[in-house]
Amino acid sequence: MTDPAFLDAIIKILFVCVIITAAYIITTRNLISLVRVYALQSLTLAGIALALYGIGGSMVLFAIACVTFISKVLIIPYFVANIQERIRIKRDIEFHFLNPTGSLFISLALMLLTYISLSRIIPDIPSRGNLFFFGAVIGLSLMLMGMMVTFSRKKAMTKVLGYLTMENGVLLFGLFATELPFIIEFLIIIDLIILVLLTMILAVGIDSTLEEYHNRLHRFYLLEGKEDIP
Amino acid sequence: MILVAFALCAGLALVLIALCRTHRQMNTVVVAQGLIYTATAGYIFVGEPLPFTSFLIGKNFFFIDHLGLYEVLITVLLFTLAAVYARGYVENLLTSGELEKGSLRLFYAAWCLLHLVIILAFFSDNLALFWIFAEMTTIISAMLVAILSARENIDAAIKYIFIASTAMLFSFVGLIFLFEISRSTLGEGTLNWTVLMQHASAFPTGVMTAAFALIFIGFAAKSGIFPFHTWLPAAHAKAPSAVSALLSGVLLNVGIYGIIRAYALVHQTGALSVAAPMIAFFGVLSIAIAVISMLPEKNLKKLIAFSSIENMGIILVGLALATPLALFWVLFHIMAHSLTKASLFFSAGILHRQYKSPLSGDAIDDIRDVFRLQPLAAWGIIIGGLAIIGMPPFPIFFSKWFILLSLGMQSLWVLACVLVLLFIAAASIGFFVIRTFSRVSPPGELTNPVPYLTPATMKFPIVILLVIIFIIGLMFPAGGIVFINQIVTELRF
Repeated sequence: MTDPAFLDAIIKILFVCVIITAAYIITTRNLISLVRVYALQSLTLAGIALALYGIGGSMVLFAIACVTFISKVLIIPYFVANIQERIRIKRDIEFHFLNPTGSLFISLALMLLTYISLSRIIPDIPSRGNLFFFGAVIGLSLMLMGMMVTFSRKKAMTKVLGYLTMENGVLLFGLFATELPFIIEFLIIIDLIILVLLTMILAVGIDSTLEEYHNRLHRFYLLEGKEDIP
Repeated sequence: MILVAFALCAGLALVLIALCRTHRQMNTVVVAQGLIYTATAGYIFVGEPLPFTSFLIGKNFFFIDHLGLYEVLITVLLFTLAAVYARGYVENLLTSGELEKGSLRLFYAAWCLLHLVIILAFFSDNLALFWIFAEMTTIISAMLVAILSARENIDAAIKYIFIASTAMLFSFVGLIFLFEISRSTLGEGTLNWTVLMQHASAFPTGVMTAAFALIFIGFAAKSGIFPFHTWLPAAHAKAPSAVSALLSGVLLNVGIYGIIRAYALVHQTGALSVAAPMIAFFGVLSIAIAVISMLPEKNLKKLIAFSSIENMGIILVGLALATPLALFWVLFHIMAHSLTKASLFFSAGILHRQYKSPLSGDAIDDIRDVFRLQPLAAWGIIIGGLAIIGMPPFPIFFSKWFILLSLGMQSLWVLACVLVLLFIAAASIGFFVIRTFSRVSPPGELTNPVPYLTPATMKFPIVILLVIIFIIGLMFPAGGIVFINQIVTELRF
């Protein structure tokens, strides 16, 4: 197959992509591009999984890449974008206590912190090379950044994307730290989809007034009182 | 085979609920499901030698041991009683327009799924599988919280989902650590608790500490431990009372169960010297925060919810002691707390129906003339309150007594702090009861002349639970002691 050193370099480039997407998710106020960036980030993850498979990983990595692509690049972004279009919120300008610049600095600090604490812990585990260590660090920091988004934004919609970013971070960490059985990864994806579905439906409620909410639920056929609809 | 039976029964119940037309039919289905589950759990209790791993499906994924069965027995009992209670309660929610008719089917479907998922969680051998089921319980129960068509409910549910799920992701990272530990120690990675238990003593200390700390974050959030407790009062107070009883009596146990499983692993390694003080610290802090919030609380359901946080704190403190005696009483406390708390929420539900404020869910309940209007609920709160603060004939007295006694053997200072805090907790419940229940409207001026006719189905679960805790407190059967002792042995304490 392809030259491992080449794939190694590719993975490094993809790492940079992940960090850039994370920075974008932290700072942007435009909800629509947020979803697109999330899809891009997931695509990068799928790419990383594929490259790892190319280096000589097991079939599991290939399967993970496929599942990630289908669920996180196609289904979830499509669904979120769909709901967004119906709610008609384009921008999330409410930041709880962090403005974008501040959050960027904090995320830098978080990455450093993860690096230091992981390098303390990891020596106990037999080292599997530099690349894997970096992967783990970036995965964990991505997760922490996602958490920051979840807690620093007000709109439920943005919170969901923060959560999804966190989950991406966990996936990245899992890819590099160890090899989880595929069934577990698969179940997590299902769990994620249910969670996104539910929170989105609730988000429709929280990001609008209650009366509108009920009308919307009827419009989505989510409530069963269909007789109200002409 | 047994798990297939559980799953099939839930599937059948779902189909029946989809076919049902009236509320009574749906409720009957859920009650029947509860009864069947109780019977099955009883059969496992009586008929099967434990631990029990040979299944048709997923030999490596599921197993039944004493701890799992113990939690399941509590779960099925509470679910059945709550289903009976919901018959009257949800009926009233419908007539008062708080629950829409269209959401009814969703409500019962979620109920029946939640029951299944919790049981599967308790019977999971694989920790990652347990994690997934625990996460599912969050989602489904949040659905049950959000089902009432009020904005505060959606708020509470969203808060619940986000806090619990984000924290649970940390748990998952912890599990990944654990997997890597087992892979580097055993050669082949596994997350099966039984396998991990056999080899835990060989695990390296440093990584094990990190793994436990991360796992603890997630399950602590699930069981409402400080600093992740903020979702709990909102969700418990806003949910329909039948659901609040389940949230407090069963779902908090899911988190504690996860902590106990992970703690049993840590207990065999050198990481215990870090893990035990850590959970003791968070336990005491939870008690403190809960107690401070209880004192000025004027909303009954919130008060009871904070008391749940306090009890989870006590359980953590007991776990941190890591002696067989303390663990025995921790397990006893889990059961006693679940039963007592469920009865309290049932009584609070009746009062809530009687005195619900038409303006907003956040308003203080205007409780007055309580003994004339709702004598049973009032006595339910008083007796339940006495039980939860740990008055002698009730079971919580014994568990608190022995946990504190073991605590005193290790640190008198912590004991003194905890005792003061528990005293304040008892005082705040007493204060609330005396203040609100003694309110009587002046003669001739009856502001609330219509007593809410409490259906028998709502009274029955309260009476049953109170009788059960009274009997357990007076004479705990010898079989139960043997059973809990077996759990302690299986956890290798």
